[in-house]
Amino acid sequence: MSNYFYVSPEQLIKDRAEFAQKGIARGRSIVAAIYDVGVLMVAENPSASLNKISEIYDRIAFAGVGKYNEFDRLREAGIRWADGTGFTYSREDVDARALANYYAQHIGDMFTEGQKPLEVEVLVAQLGTAIRPTKLFRIAYEGTISDETRFAVLGGDSETIKGRFSAAETDLEPLDVTLRNAVAALAGADRKIDVVDLEVCVLQDMGDRRTFTRLTDERVAALLGT
Amino acid sequence: MGLPLFSASDDPGPSFLRFAERSGLVEARSGTEPAGRHATTVIAVRYVGGVVMVGDRQATSSYIASRDVRKIEAADRFTALAISGSAARGMEFIRMAQLSFEHYEKMTDMSLSLEGKANYLSPIIQRNNLSTPLTVIPLLAGWDPSRRDGRIFEYDGAGGCYERRDFATIGSGTPFAESALRLGFRTDLDREAALELGALAIYEAGDNDPSTGGPDFVRNLFPMVIILDEYGFAELPADEVAQRFVAINERRTQSQGVAGGSLR
Repeated sequence: MSNYFYVSPEQLIKDRAEFAQKGIARGRSIVAAIYDVGVLMVAENPSASLNKISEIYDRIAFAGVGKYNEFDRLREAGIRWADGTGFTYSREDVDARALANYYAQHIGDMFTEGQKPLEVEVLVAQLGTAIRPTKLFRIAYEGTISDETRFAVLGGDSETIKGRFSAAETDLEPLDVTLRNAVAALAGADRKIDVVDLEVCVLQDMGDRRTFTRLTDERVAALLGT
Repeated sequence: MGLPLFSASDDPGPSFLRFAERSGLVEARSGTEPAGRHATTVIAVRYVGGVVMVGDRQATSSYIASRDVRKIEAADRFTALAISGSAARGMEFIRMAQLSFEHYEKMTDMSLSLEGKANYLSPIIQRNNLSTPLTVIPLLAGWDPSRRDGRIFEYDGAGGCYERRDFATIGSGTPFAESALRLGFRTDLDREAALELGALAIYEAGDNDPSTGGPDFVRNLFPMVIILDEYGFAELPADEVAQRFVAINERRTQSQGVAGGSLR
């Protein structure tokens, strides 16, 4: 017969939160920011093929930090949800807020009921239309969903990076300025990130139905002016 | 629909169809259904540097149901998909194909190869055509970036997929369009010659097959003409298409309605 020890709910939540935070802090961060005509997402990612940022739908993108296998599964579920919803109803009925809520519910359930909490933080970004606003939804490891108005930072050192970015950028700027500010915020004062270690994607309307673009290293270098 | 999560052992992978079946978005079909609108002629011709596709615009039941149907659609940037047979099923088929190719690309961060797209459609055609009288026969053509060549894939009613090195036709006007293509096709066609031949083939089908719409000078509606080359899918502008059919029509008027012993 096994012995059960009493653990208070406060302690249980605290332990789980610490566990998730530790897992997330091991990885590099992501900055997502709205610029004058789109949404920019920048990740520090030394891998060229294991992406942290990806396309979900015509005007919706996904970004995740933490354990790759865990956030990649959420990414796949998001694409399936979006394609399935668009197939059943119409393409314009696919809404980022609904997806963000599903993510928040699932991540929240895993935090309280799962074997272990998911060691992830995810972002759902939406490029606005006539009937929908441009939005950034950040979902934390315990399922908290926050609706960020201008920019969001995911990952371990988010408070510091947030401070650096908000000090540098106070208004909507063009893409190159926002990218420079985002990379500077990720790097900090005494560090420089190589272009090959950056994963940069944007949601911007170029007249096509799909708005997601993964920027090449050459394009990123040109925008950074390096 | 909730968040569709699957465990690693029963994950449907990047196939939208498998996912749609698993989650009940589409159902296996059975029984008989009333016949809807159908009949068509669409042709595809290879030329040096790409493929030209031409399709008529008429939907027919026991009367002309519509005169401006688009039977050729871009399945993605480098691929065109045309349908013949049941209009309802055909439209659904095109939608499923478009969504599937994009779904695969988003899930895997890679485009399906042209051959991969052609093979993916086979079981969908088979499932549809063996379970209902509302058959659909598609025609797939595209630019293959890995071979740097235009390619055409045709299907039989049971979903069999065959690559054609010359040209292909689908729909009720096939005998007439096919005859024109057989007489006019050469392996060294350039784009201009392929456009001319394709337009002539559809003109012949429209002239002879009651279920295929020819150029409609009254309503200014003309068959749709698609070019697939290294720049991807492009539709020829309406006025350019109109000019081609006006020219053919004038030649035919001069020769009093017969081709006059040559491909005119």
